[in-house]
Amino acid sequence: MTELLKISHTMHLEWRYGVGASFHEFIAALRARAQILGRRCPGCQRVYLPPRPVCGNCYVELRDWVEVRDTGTVRAFTIVHTPIIDPTTGARRPSPYTMALIQLDGADTTLNHYLEASDPTKLRIGMRVRAVWRAQRMGLLGDISHFTELTDE
Amino acid sequence: MRRAAIIGTGQTKHAKAHDDMNQAELVRQAATRALSDAGITFREVDAVVLANMELFEGRALPEMWVGAGAGGYLKPAIKIATGGTSGTSAAIAGYHQCASGLFDIVLVVGWEKHSEGATQTGMAMVDPLWDRNVASGAVGNFALSISQYVAERGVTPAQAAKVAVKARRNAAKNPYAHLQIPDLTVEQVLRSPMLADPVHRLDMCPQSDGACALVYAAQGVAEKLCAQPAWVRAAVTRHDQPYIGDLDRRLVTMRTLRDAARAAYHQVGIVEPRKQIDVAEIYEPVSYAELAWYEALGFCAEGKAGELIDEGVTEMNGELPVNPSGGVLSSNPVGASGVLRVAEAAMQVMGRAGAHQIADARVALATGYGVYAWSDVMILSADT
Amino acid sequence: MNDDFVTAGVNLQFHYAAGAAASRFLCALRDEQKIFGARCPECRRVLAPARSFCPRCFVETNEWLEVGPGGTLSAFVAPPFAQLLEPALTLALIRLDGADTAFVHRLGEFDAPMLRRGLRVAPVFAASRQGHILDLAYFKPVEFDNAHSI
Ligand SMILES: [Zn+2]
Repeated sequence: MTELLKISHTMHLEWRYGVGASFHEFIAALRARAQILGRRCPGCQRVYLPPRPVCGNCYVELRDWVEVRDTGTVRAFTIVHTPIIDPTTGARRPSPYTMALIQLDGADTTLNHYLEASDPTKLRIGMRVRAVWRAQRMGLLGDISHFTELTDE
Repeated sequence: MRRAAIIGTGQTKHAKAHDDMNQAELVRQAATRALSDAGITFREVDAVVLANMELFEGRALPEMWVGAGAGGYLKPAIKIATGGTSGTSAAIAGYHQCASGLFDIVLVVGWEKHSEGATQTGMAMVDPLWDRNVASGAVGNFALSISQYVAERGVTPAQAAKVAVKARRNAAKNPYAHLQIPDLTVEQVLRSPMLADPVHRLDMCPQSDGACALVYAAQGVAEKLCAQPAWVRAAVTRHDQPYIGDLDRRLVTMRTLRDAARAAYHQVGIVEPRKQIDVAEIYEPVSYAELAWYEALGFCAEGKAGELIDEGVTEMNGELPVNPSGGVLSSNPVGASGVLRVAEAAMQVMGRAGAHQIADARVALATGYGVYAWSDVMILSADT
Repeated sequence: MNDDFVTAGVNLQFHYAAGAAASRFLCALRDEQKIFGARCPECRRVLAPARSFCPRCFVETNEWLEVGPGGTLSAFVAPPFAQLLEPALTLALIRLDGADTAFVHRLGEFDAPMLRRGLRVAPVFAASRQGHILDLAYFKPVEFDNAHSI
């Protein structure tokens, strides 16, 4: 029986993605004012996050900007126990952590983001949450560190 | 369009790792078996369609290096990568090439060698502007939608675990399956480590190395080469919007699968799927998904999927056996998994499924599921 | 990060199975410093490096034979980007004696003006070998190599 060999390679690559006009506006507002902008479809009236040039349902051009609040409602959640390797760093992400689909007030789509709750047993679909912002904003979705329960409503 | 049929299938053993074969050799094993099953040589193949998620193996242009393993030399060959649907997309593309009149005989081969790369990480390399910032891999992503499905439909962890048990028990009758656990219990599934609430390790598919191939022949050719071809009666694809947050209650509505199935049933004249379909090979990467697909495919009324598994309707000896091969829950070489669904459905119709053959299977359904919610549906029949 | 572009990187590891045939080829490089080809039973070509099947005839190769070590340069290129590497890289297609396919590898120990098609070359093996194609470090030009002087 032949000895079976494996050939190993490490891949380090960097890409530079053009964001396009819709994201450009979104990023600028996010960084300058911690403001979240969505776009409304003139056909179905849905407000989309992330903002995009065309509604996938109606295939019409989206022009109207709508400010979306940084508070919202949990529509789905899971506590992830299995660690994944962060593709950007190659490092293992600490676990467990909670992911949620959050419908921000004023939006019709949900936002996939981290959720931190003081008591994980209190997590439920329908709970109200608010964004916790980082001190330094880069114009990325990661400018929101995570969401936490909204208590003073 | 003329009719086209599957006249041969072949697959490798699916396993945690195949260190004895490189990717081209793995593909060649499946392709050789399919050609042999069809009773032809590679010289009679007019075109080759490959399916592979090249990102998982971090290697560009697999159609060049690995295509040789499918006998692609001096033939038209293309590669398709559409996530989990890669295999069913390739099966549908091969069908189109054959049924359109372009080619008489088309070979389709899908493969994946998860052991060689970083699958979860590959899954996290989604849209860099938005979803990648908060990606949580296939398991976390699925678990999010499952939380909605459970909340609205009230299915229990034990009902999901029954799906996981059924898959591994069926797999024990399939010599090629990766996870074969004939005596698995619901309790063992529920006691296995939690990956992402409510998904336990044994609720989830494995990551496999494996390949699967099938051979299409056009009407006029198929009957000469095969006593009982598996005729393609419908092949439908539906895509959805691009971000996970766009999909309204994904597993509850599952509008791509629902719509694809409706269109496919209409083409074939199926009005009572549970009665008119003899066997189904559906793409269920996680136990809960199979329950959601029962509803989307019209096997039961909305909210009744838990009862369907409780009553044993989808067991091997039930009214509508689902995944007698053990399904994706037992073997998941992603690029091959969709080809496997179609090949296994064809094997049932051709009467070549061996120990997991369903008696008198005349009409078989195969589905693919990919990315956040893309769906493919194919219906194969013993009749033209 | 500005408003027009997002940069994103990946940092990943891959481990590719060579398979039985390529493993045997690489072990021979490592342990015996020999280069093996394999003959196709149909087209009779000797494929080097040795592999398990002939991509033209789609049949398994069934005969292993040593090729080279000497060979003839059939093409070479020194791409500008590769001159920034340390050491600089010159790629070559080499027809090893006894082989019917070109072997892709590197050239070393040469003066650029001496490179020409038809030049005789011989392998130089690495001192430390681990079952990798670079166990054969590079090919160097030779005036009279063993393959021809015998
Ligand atoms: Zn040959």
